[in-house]
Amino acid sequence: MSPIQLRRRIVEAAIAASLAGGLVFGLPSPRDVSAQAESSPAAKRAQELAWDDAAPGPKQPVPFSHALHAGQFQIDCLYCHSGTDRSAVAGVPSVETCMGCHTQFGQDLEGIQILKQYWDAQEPIPWEQIHRSPEHVQFKHNRHVAAEVPCERCHGPVGEMDKLSLTSDTIWWPWLLPSKKLEMGWCVNCHRENQASQDCLTCHY
Amino acid sequence: MPEFDRREFLKIVGASAGAAATVGCSDPVSKLIPYVVQPEEITPGIPVYYASTCLECPAACGLHVKTREGRPIKLEGNPDHPVNRGSLCARGQSAIGRTYHPDRFAKPMRRGADGKLAAIEWDEAIALLGAELAKAGGRSWVLGGTMGPTASEFLDRWVEAVGAGGRVVYEPFAPEALVGATKTLFGVETEPIFDLSGSDLILDFGSDFLETGLSPVEHARQLATARDAAEAGRRATRFVYIGPRLSMTASNADEWLAAKPGTEGLLALGLANVALRNGGGTEAGRAVLAPALARFDAASVAQQSGVPADAIERIGKALAKAKSPVALPPGAALASRRATATCGAVLLLDWALGAIGGAVQLPADDGRRRSSYRAALALIDSMKAGKVSVLLVHGANPVYSLPAAAGFAEALEQVPFVVSFASGPDETTARAQLILPDHTPLESWGDASPRPGVRSLVQPTVRPLRDTRAFVDTLLDVGRAMGGSVAARMPEGSFRTLVEQAWTASGADFKQLLSVGGVFGDARSAGISLAGDALQLEVAEPLLEGPGQFMLLAVPSPLLYDGRGADLPWLQEIGDPVTKITWASWAELSTAAAEQLGVEYGDVIEVETVAGKLELPAYPRGGIRDDVIAIAVGQGHRVGRWATRDGERRGVNVIEALPSLTDESGGRAWLVAKASARKTGGHYRFALAQHSQDQRGRRLGLATPLAALAANGHGAPAASAAAAEGGGHGDGAAHGEHGHLKDFEPAKDSDPNSLYRWGMAIDMDRCTGCSACVAACSIENNIPVVGEEEVRRGRLMSWLRIERWVGNGSLEGGAGLDPILPDEPIGPVDVRHTAMLCQQCGAAPCEPVCPVIATYHNEDGLNGMIYNRCIGTRYCANNCPYKVRRYNWYDNHIHNWPEPMPLMLNPEVTVRGQGVMEKCTFCVQRIASARQTAKDQQRPIADGEVTTACAQACPTQAITFGNLKDESSTVVRKSDDPVRGFRSLHELNTRPAVTYLAKITRGPVEG
Repeated sequence: MSPIQLRRRIVEAAIAASLAGGLVFGLPSPRDVSAQAESSPAAKRAQELAWDDAAPGPKQPVPFSHALHAGQFQIDCLYCHSGTDRSAVAGVPSVETCMGCHTQFGQDLEGIQILKQYWDAQEPIPWEQIHRSPEHVQFKHNRHVAAEVPCERCHGPVGEMDKLSLTSDTIWWPWLLPSKKLEMGWCVNCHRENQASQDCLTCHY
Repeated sequence: MPEFDRREFLKIVGASAGAAATVGCSDPVSKLIPYVVQPEEITPGIPVYYASTCLECPAACGLHVKTREGRPIKLEGNPDHPVNRGSLCARGQSAIGRTYHPDRFAKPMRRGADGKLAAIEWDEAIALLGAELAKAGGRSWVLGGTMGPTASEFLDRWVEAVGAGGRVVYEPFAPEALVGATKTLFGVETEPIFDLSGSDLILDFGSDFLETGLSPVEHARQLATARDAAEAGRRATRFVYIGPRLSMTASNADEWLAAKPGTEGLLALGLANVALRNGGGTEAGRAVLAPALARFDAASVAQQSGVPADAIERIGKALAKAKSPVALPPGAALASRRATATCGAVLLLDWALGAIGGAVQLPADDGRRRSSYRAALALIDSMKAGKVSVLLVHGANPVYSLPAAAGFAEALEQVPFVVSFASGPDETTARAQLILPDHTPLESWGDASPRPGVRSLVQPTVRPLRDTRAFVDTLLDVGRAMGGSVAARMPEGSFRTLVEQAWTASGADFKQLLSVGGVFGDARSAGISLAGDALQLEVAEPLLEGPGQFMLLAVPSPLLYDGRGADLPWLQEIGDPVTKITWASWAELSTAAAEQLGVEYGDVIEVETVAGKLELPAYPRGGIRDDVIAIAVGQGHRVGRWATRDGERRGVNVIEALPSLTDESGGRAWLVAKASARKTGGHYRFALAQHSQDQRGRRLGLATPLAALAANGHGAPAASAAAAEGGGHGDGAAHGEHGHLKDFEPAKDSDPNSLYRWGMAIDMDRCTGCSACVAACSIENNIPVVGEEEVRRGRLMSWLRIERWVGNGSLEGGAGLDPILPDEPIGPVDVRHTAMLCQQCGAAPCEPVCPVIATYHNEDGLNGMIYNRCIGTRYCANNCPYKVRRYNWYDNHIHNWPEPMPLMLNPEVTVRGQGVMEKCTFCVQRIASARQTAKDQQRPIADGEVTTACAQACPTQAITFGNLKDESSTVVRKSDDPVRGFRSLHELNTRPAVTYLAKITRGPVEG
């Protein structure tokens, strides 16, 4: 089984798991949500899941659900991670970006209240980093976006995940360095399959 | 976006870029800190450049400050700025370290009853100073360095508003004598502007214009333009250096005349006499001057100056023949008590030759405040007399840079309240009662006007790292805190408001000005005529104090300047351009003098003048007169992390041995003392960046005579270029010995499918040895500074070095451990500067010996060095014939970048950890970044789109980087020089990608 096939299996399993997790009740369309004064049960549930201690991954300071934003609402990844197609660094959205929508939506949600506290204090949100390449790797997001590599290829099925973690084919070192995924062999495999450069100096300098 | 956003840059520095990245094990960054409000011009990961101005010396070069996520990481030249045209000297580049200096004052400081400094709040500090000023009234004074026009005008008004006694501008190397001379000669008080670029005969009377003169970067560029190799046959510009010592500038001359220091004026008049007698110069010159100059005949001038009469005759005749000759008056090192007359004599020579109004412009006085040493001395006198109650010191370190004999330190004792505005500790803050730390220039608004017609803006590029305030803002706050009429006279707003008002008064768009960097006009002479009493100059031999066999020459340091660079580690570690000594002081004396004193290389001598004694190691060399001891200014600090040796003084401060004297116009005289020297018996082991300056005939730096260049047409095969080395410098032996020299085309040393083979052409005729490239390389590539002891062990980390070779060297001697001392004869100069860096060999000896393939040849012809693969066997470094590979013996990043210096690291370059080899990569990160744009536009990288940090910084554009596979590229055109092109150690068949262009030796000037 090639790593890609393996990955697909795992993605499918992850989707099945999240379905079993009870994400499915009462899905309104995004338009409906925006019209409501009170947030949908799905949004509330997504928050709970984003802070689910049983789920893998570190607890984030705000119960932000990628499944809700990227999955259910189909917000483009680049809407928030706006530098990804231009810069080596994908970037984390500023608090202002969050507030762009959330001055209107989700006022009753606990997560949004936490967000507003950061905004009122003009403090950045100290997110826990999940995907991290070592410092001797000069990874360029924009090249991969230009090559039409889907974000999920490296970041896993983010649109399915309430609580973000490295997807399940990853084991963690005590140093928080992902060993199975985002390791060099994994990068090189993909470069090889796509006839991308395999020169060491492409990523290491 | 308005200014607020840029200064709002970062609540906290973004972790996502991984600035302090290291190879090996280190704590991972585990938080992602986004912006609260992301400024619209910032995209994390993409550098943003801001135009600003370098304030390291009065030349005021334009800057492009490269910032990443709101922090400056490198200073580059502004290509549109008329002074430096995109390049920047080593001092300017190292200035970035001021902002990130670990010892900066974090807050205002006040000296308590126990004599220790303690932090206080700004409000308290300002109220305190306000009260003291109110009490002192006219007994308060301001002493400070050069300032921009806006700040200077404000300060004048402020001094008046608070009722202070006055203000003194003090700049140690200010050309006061030169300004005095223009006033005497032409009736205008102004600083002449020299343009060497169109000149065919340049005489430098010891101004050292390539290192510490009026505008070093600009003059270096102009010299290179004047001597451009393509024009060399036609124009044949010659450059004669007249001075007691073969300085860095002199090393670039065609001929060196070792005149007795202080006799430059006599020599200038002697040369003018010969030139005018031989039909040279202007009609007016001949009519007015010829009779008056008759007494300066070659024989008597020769007798006084020590320059042979036939040389005076010969150069005088050359001046007569030259189409556009120019002479530069001496700088600080040779400013004697008759400096005004000396400068006047040289300007008179310029006038006689018709250079005034051409190569020398005398713009009208723009009314700027000029440095006045006489005023500084008067201030010291009133301090001593107890007439000063409050002294404000800004932009200067007078306790260090004024001669001990002037008694400034003692005078300070009589001032009850001394305030310093320094951003970091120095000798003056050590004696201050109150410290109100200023922003560094990278944090502050401001402007500069290097000369009439050119105005340059300073804008903040980072939020202040410490709780500091701009000098002008502090004064505004103090004025307002004083209340009453003083407060009423303070202008509205902040320093920024003042700068904006000053710049937009004419209706200009401030944002537009900020993006360009300033207003760049021209200043020309307006109706210059010789004043009637111009010929009354008392040109004579210098007046020197005290007894002694030697004249003591205090030379402005090319790297440390007046000592202000001593606490910037790069400047300490880049070898002095002449002696290659790092981290120390030395006394230069001639080999004959050393023999007479019985001292050898490194032996400690005691140099005694009427003003004091200095103990320092001797550096005997050929390139200095027998009756001169030269010591560079800049070391001998008592305060500073890098300026001292763990709190002990590093080297000596030559200023302490100088009597405090002025020239005729009140400027500071530096050439004032005789000295005696004796051996002490001690020995000092220098930490050298280059051990020997004798290349032992190894053909590392070649030279070719101008005649060969003119005679040889094009069409000779490139492979014979190395053999075409002029003068037959033992190359035959090299060929015979090895016998298997293979021809090759560097362009073919990359993958046939690749579009690129990166290569370089280094023009040794343009290289002045200034070492700006070394600083650029270090800062671009996060190269650690290792300190004196490690340099002594040969563990200097610099990826790029300037090798200084005196001639082709000799095969004799040199059996001991000490280097063979350079001979450097008086007369024709043959000093060759070779920028040595990784040659990116096509057949690299380092590659096959690496057991883990950490170094390899990539498809674009680069010799890749993959730090994370390296296991540190050092086989590669041992096998490299160029010695350009550097090994991390320690976790240098831990010792080298104390907080907050990691903020200035380039996030695009991995910081190497212990046990890892490193070397020049041809700035592969810059290639990668250019590749992004090219790929996005689906085209190859164009010529000129990518250049290395060293090539970019070079004031003379000696380095050309580009694609050897692109037939139309500049680098191919330059490399393809059948006469001058050669490759270093070609006979080893390493197939280097760097082509050196041999230095052109132009020989003595013909009469």
